[in-house]
Formats: sequence, C-alpha cells, structure tokens
Amino acid sequence: MHIVVCAKAVPSTTEVRMDPVTHTIVRDGRQAVINPFDTAALELALQVKDGVFEADGRCARGVAGGADAACGGLRPSSDEAACADATADTAPADRPAAPVTVSVLSMGIPATEALLRDAISRGADEGVLLSDRAFAGADTLATTYALTCGLAHMPTADLILCGKMAVDGDTAQIGPEIAGALGVPCVTDVRELVAVGARRVRAVRGADNGTEVVDVPLPAVLTVAKEAADLRMPSIAGVRRGACARVRVLGAEDVGADPARAGLAGSPTQVVRSFVPQRADEAVRVEGTVSEQAAQVADLIEGMAL
Amino acid sequence: MADVLPMGEEYEGFCRDESRTQGTASSISFPTTEDEVRALMRRMAAAGTPVTVQGARTGLAAGAVPRGGHVMSLSRMDRVLGMRADRDAEGRARYYVRAQPGVVLANLRKYLADKSMPTAGWDEGDRRAWEELCAGPAQIFPTDPTETSACLGGIVACNASGARSYAYGPARPHITALRVVLADGDTLALRRGEVCARGRRLDLETERGRRYELALPAYRMPRAKNASGYYAADDMDAIDLFIGSDGTLGIVTEIELALTPAPPVVWGASCFFEAEGPALDFVEAARPELPCALAFEYFDGSALKILRRQKAAGSGFASLPDVGPRAQACVYVELGCPDEEAALAALERLGALLAQNGGDERETWVARTDVDRERLRFFRHAVPESVNMLIDERRRTDPGITKLGSDMAVPDGRLHEVMALYRRTLAEAGLESATWGHIGDNHLHVNVLPRSAAEHARGKELFCGWAAEVTRMGGAVSAEHGVGKLKRDFLEIMYGAEHVRQMARLKLALDPQGLLGRGNLFSEQILDEERGHLQKGEKRGAGAVAGAGEKGAAMGGDGADGEVA
Repeated sequence: MHIVVCAKAVPSTTEVRMDPVTHTIVRDGRQAVINPFDTAALELALQVKDGVFEADGRCARGVAGGADAACGGLRPSSDEAACADATADTAPADRPAAPVTVSVLSMGIPATEALLRDAISRGADEGVLLSDRAFAGADTLATTYALTCGLAHMPTADLILCGKMAVDGDTAQIGPEIAGALGVPCVTDVRELVAVGARRVRAVRGADNGTEVVDVPLPAVLTVAKEAADLRMPSIAGVRRGACARVRVLGAEDVGADPARAGLAGSPTQVVRSFVPQRADEAVRVEGTVSEQAAQVADLIEGMAL
Repeated sequence: MADVLPMGEEYEGFCRDESRTQGTASSISFPTTEDEVRALMRRMAAAGTPVTVQGARTGLAAGAVPRGGHVMSLSRMDRVLGMRADRDAEGRARYYVRAQPGVVLANLRKYLADKSMPTAGWDEGDRRAWEELCAGPAQIFPTDPTETSACLGGIVACNASGARSYAYGPARPHITALRVVLADGDTLALRRGEVCARGRRLDLETERGRRYELALPAYRMPRAKNASGYYAADDMDAIDLFIGSDGTLGIVTEIELALTPAPPVVWGASCFFEAEGPALDFVEAARPELPCALAFEYFDGSALKILRRQKAAGSGFASLPDVGPRAQACVYVELGCPDEEAALAALERLGALLAQNGGDERETWVARTDVDRERLRFFRHAVPESVNMLIDERRRTDPGITKLGSDMAVPDGRLHEVMALYRRTLAEAGLESATWGHIGDNHLHVNVLPRSAAEHARGKELFCGWAAEVTRMGGAVSAEHGVGKLKRDFLEIMYGAEHVRQMARLKLALDPQGLLGRGNLFSEQILDEERGHLQKGEKRGAGAVAGAGEKGAAMGGDGADGEVA
C-alpha cells in the first residue's frame, strides 16, 4: 500500500509578512513548520505503516515506542457507539497490502526540503518537493494542479492524506480538489481512522450534528483534523536517517506541468487587497476600592457608547 | 502612598503560596513604585508591623507565606523600566534590562523572543539600546525555573535556577544591579563590582548616608549548586548578600539583568533507559563529552509510571507522548549549538554515549521544532503537576498529608552515592516516592508521596537524615528553592546552630526590629533571642551595625572561614 501525505510549509508564527505587490505571504523559509493539520495526517499514515489499524476496525498494537492503543479509549461514548454500529455493518474484510510505504509530497521553496527530511526522520519513506518559480503564487486550483502533476510522477497512491486545511490560507480546498481532479472519493475533517484495508478505509469525520462514520473504497483522499493524532517525535536514529535521505526535487518541466495552469498564471483567484489589522493599545488600569473600580468600569462602558 | 487594605476574604489567596502552606496576615498592600514601598516601610517600621514580601507566590519553600502582620505584594510593580548596552573586551554588544520585581518571567521571555517590548516611558538612550538589540541576534535571560509565572523579584529572592543552570549557572551571575528598600524605608543602590567586602567585613552606605558595617557569617559555602542561606565569602560583592536572602534583608524594588545571546540552534533529546544505574552512568559520561549541553534533566521510573497513569486517565494529559512500558528512567539532554551541523554532530555523539552506557538511540525523542520542544516541556512539567494532583487526592482522606520534596544538591562525583542513599533509605522506610530534577547539577527533587500522616512524619525524618549526609558530601540542603520557612531545620543541619545565629545577627544589623520575612531562614525564636542579646549590648559574632554617620563597634566575626557543620 502506498500512502501519500500532502504537506505544506507554513510560518510558525501568526505574525506573517505580506508582499505588498502580489498580496501573498512572504515565504522566506525562516521559522517554517509543517502545517499542523498535515502533521496529524502524517501521523495517521505512519500509524497505518506501523500496523496500528486492522481491517476490522480493532486496534492492532500501540504506536511506535508507545504503550497503549493509539486509537482507543479517548473518543466520547456516543462516537464509540456510532463506530461500533458501523463496524458491524460493512467492515473492510481485507488487510492493507504490505508493505505500507509513506511518501510526503509538498510544493514550496527549496528550503521546504528540510521539512521533508524532518518527515522522513519521523518515519516517512520518501519526500518529493515540487519547487519551481513557475509554481509560485498559486491559488488552490493551481496548487492542486501542481500536486496532481507530482502524484502522476510517483508510484500510484492508494490513499492520499491531507490536512483539513492550512493554518495560513484556511481554505480547506486542496484535499477535495485533489479528489475531484483524480475522480476518487473524499472524506473531509477526519477525526479518527477506524479501519484500513487494502481496498477500503473507514473513518470518523466531523459532521454538522457531531460525528459520523464513513466507509469508502480506495483510492481515496482523506483530509485530517488536527486532533486526529499528535505527530511522533523522531529518534536520534531517525534524525540521522532524515539527514542522509535524498529528497526528490521536481520542477514544472520534470512533472510536465503546463505553465498556463501552474502558479500565478494558473490561478483564477485574484487577491484584490490584503492588510494587517491595526491593533490599538488602549488598556486602562482600574484602581481603587471595589466600588471605585466598578464606577470606573461603568464610566468606561458608557464612554464606549455601546 | 499605596493603600493598606484589611486582609479580607478577597485576599485569601495571598496567605499561601505554591508550597501550599497556609499563613495569616492582617493587612495587604500593592505598591507600584519604589516611593510607595519606602512610604509603606516607614509606616510599618513605625508601628513595628512585620512585613512579608510577595511576588507571584510560586515559591516552594513558603518564603512568601505571611506569619501575621502585613503582606506587601509587588505583583503590580510589573514594568520593564529600560535597558542599556555596552561592549565586552572583544567589542561584542551586551545588553542589560532594568525591571521592577513584579515582572513575570514568561512575559520578559516573550518580550525578548518577539522583540516586542512595552517601552512607554523609556528615555532615548534606553530606546536606542532596545533598537540595537532588535537589530541583532536574539537575546535571552537564561535563568529558567520550571514555573515561568515566577516573577523577577522572587527569582532574586531565592537565587532561582532551573534546567539550564547547568550551562548558565543560577540567577546570581546574571544580576548586575539591585535597588533595595531596607526595613526603615532607606534605600541601597547596589551595582556589581562597586562595593565589595574586605574579607568577611562589608561596609554599606544607604542613599540617605547611613553607614552599616556588617560582619558576614563565617561559614564556608558548599561546592554544589546552592540556595541555602546568605551568600557569604571572603571579599564578596555586596550585591550577592541580597541575592538569595529570602526576603529577609530588604525589599528589592529594581533589578538589572544581564542578557545572554540565545543559542542559534536548540535541540532536546529525551533518552530512555531500562534501569536507573545506566542512566546515571550516561549522565556522568556525557557531561564532559558534550560541551554544548545546556541541561541534563532526570525522571525516575516512578515519575514515568505516574505519567503513564495520568495519560491513561485522559483529561489534560491525554496529549502526553507515550512512554514505552520498559522505560524505568529518562534523561533529557538539551543541546545549544551555533548551527544545525554542530547540533547533528552533538546528537551523534549523544547516540554513541547512549550505546556505551546501556541506552539505545532508537529509544529517544528528539525535539527540533517549537511544537516538539513544547511537547517535551509539557512532559517535564506534567511530572510535578501529576504528583501534586496525587497528593491532593490523598489529602482528601488524610488532610495531614503534604508533598515532601527535597531540593538538595551534591558536588560532582557524588551522584551515584547520593542516589544510593536515597534508594536505600526510602526502601528501609517503606515510602513511595518519585524523583526528578536537574541531574546535570547533581540536584534531584526526591518527592516522598505519603499515604498517611505516619508516613508523612517518617518522610520528614528521612529528609533530616539526608540533609546531614548531603552536607557531609559537601552539598547543599536547598539548591534552588531557597530555605523559606520549610527548610530552615535543614539549614541548621548544614551550617550548624552558631552559623545560623550569625545569619540572624546579620539580618538584625539591617533590620533591627526583625520585621522583614519573619520565619524565613531562622525561627522567630532565634531572631527574638538574638535581638534580645543585641538590645542588652552583648558582644556576639557576625552582624554588627553602626548608626547613621557613626562608626559602630566591631562585633564578632573573626573573618576566618568556618567549617561547614
């Protein structure tokens, strides 16, 4: 089984810098991290590789280096009941095809290679970076186009895991768009993987009224919520492995991308204006006795003319 | 002047601190300036009212817990006042922050990390220094007590340290100037390097011109990390007397801290072992081999077991990383390196040292990102928090139970010996325990987890025995928490009764009514007895005060090094 995790480099801080001309985030690689939603997707992929999930929905064993089950015991009881019902219904009867390999695919500046090495140090088998000026300034459509070009140059993916959304763009569109481009099912907002077989996967996803259990055939795209899993830390041996690993860096030509469909040129989304909200520091310290303080607060509220 | 408020119910929390010791007080104030502190002290001194100074009340030795009288909370003296820069001999810039004592450590760290400081009210020179700092490499205040909600005044009062004191030492060397209000409302301005003792005699002059001739205690301090009693050494700097004085000599109203360049790359590695012995061997082998190590921290098998239990119980601990079932000890090593290449080389060396000392580099967690570092920080902090919860649970059935946590340190070369002592005596006493702490400095917090009042009493006896043995090894009974009210019996074991009385006399020289921090370092009985002797004009060793503008009679203190009792 081949799992591809789509990962995006995002600023590690919320205080991002905007390019005044292109109205896009300045990505200079400083303090970049893997999008936190994508780290949850990567951890789920690594758990599949570890054999944590059996095809019948039971937990096979603990996570690497761990003591207890990674998928049991923490979900609210109502979800457990829902899960049990669905399991009794149409359980995937097969097991994931062995061996399970995990690739991490990203589009970004050359410095993103360090994040792919980090993913390898944590247990991924391969990193592929799409890096080319032609990919710069992409909106979600052009990003999806580049990623599908990249996917076409990798071994066929049985399961594609994305973060539910990225913390910088907040669009939550990439996963569904990849599924649309490939013509495969998509499960969004996955809170938990329940069962993974060679031909089907079952997951708990967020829904308007709580959660629901969804069973889909593979290949499929799953977008993963942050709370689904905490990405494991690498060991010293893993760090060494990541440092020595070869990350495949592919340009637009390497993946046969049409320049008209990639990057800014392929992006129908036009950012008309962006700005950093101005903060006003007008805190007032209220002093005195309790009644004096209450009177001052009342005056302040009155002054706000609410 | 700041209001003196009656100690109503709304201030109940100000009668205890993180040690969970309960005190009493009749009034409280929240000064915001040094002038207000001075005025308050003049008023308290005139009325003979004892004053307990508080910061964030995160202390573990009950130093901030009042024994009657007035509570002066400095929590509203929380402004960063300014900064300056100078150059070292090689032309590198050094930066110094000037702050009020109520500034919370976590806030200062954030200001420096984000390079975003509240500079309102700073003069042009201060702003220039700040702008210069912002343009250069990141700077830190390296003292890192586990509790980051501690305030700077508290850090000065107990000479706090933390994990990184292995590399940077305790707070003391990073404190370059203090302003101190004495018990009578007069002030001292102390800058490191300006006023030093001659042997064990120290002359101080206040801003109003009052002169003190102080005889410093005659004991020799331990060769280990130490926060036990007054700093006393030949030719010592005057500022060092006030750092670590547990709120007994004066009220710190302004602190200047020297900043240090932040290491460009910081990686942490938690290394797991199947037994305690190999973990200790690893630490002793790794210390000389890893010059870039910032910290070595330790968690024993019991601490790891408690963490597993907390994680299984869910709640706030569910996100703790899983600890393997075979792990019986964990050593966390933090590396500070100039670049990633150097960090990788250090990590390789660490892996080799593990292999040579019964560890396995596959049984490690390496934190290289903020998220992972935060997870390991959470893991380390979850241990004491979990133990507190466990004790709280047991207190429900037996309110006489409290956590008994040691804070003793021994010199290098004594680590195996002191651990053997702890293990043997705990087993003999049949007591449950969990141990963690700063193993790089041979400084471990052994926490006895009593199940009954009887076990609590046995635990206390055990601690007194440890204090004697640790002293024999050349160690300290309190390495970072200070002595406060909870560890003063150990101070007597460490230095002997006469040396503790010398400390009391020194205190009385600066605070003749014994108003400040009553109950800290020495019992009120000792303080009152010594006060009685002084009032009768009896000659005693150490202490000694001369009145304003007059030379006092030299009283005791032969200046010779005393042996550690």
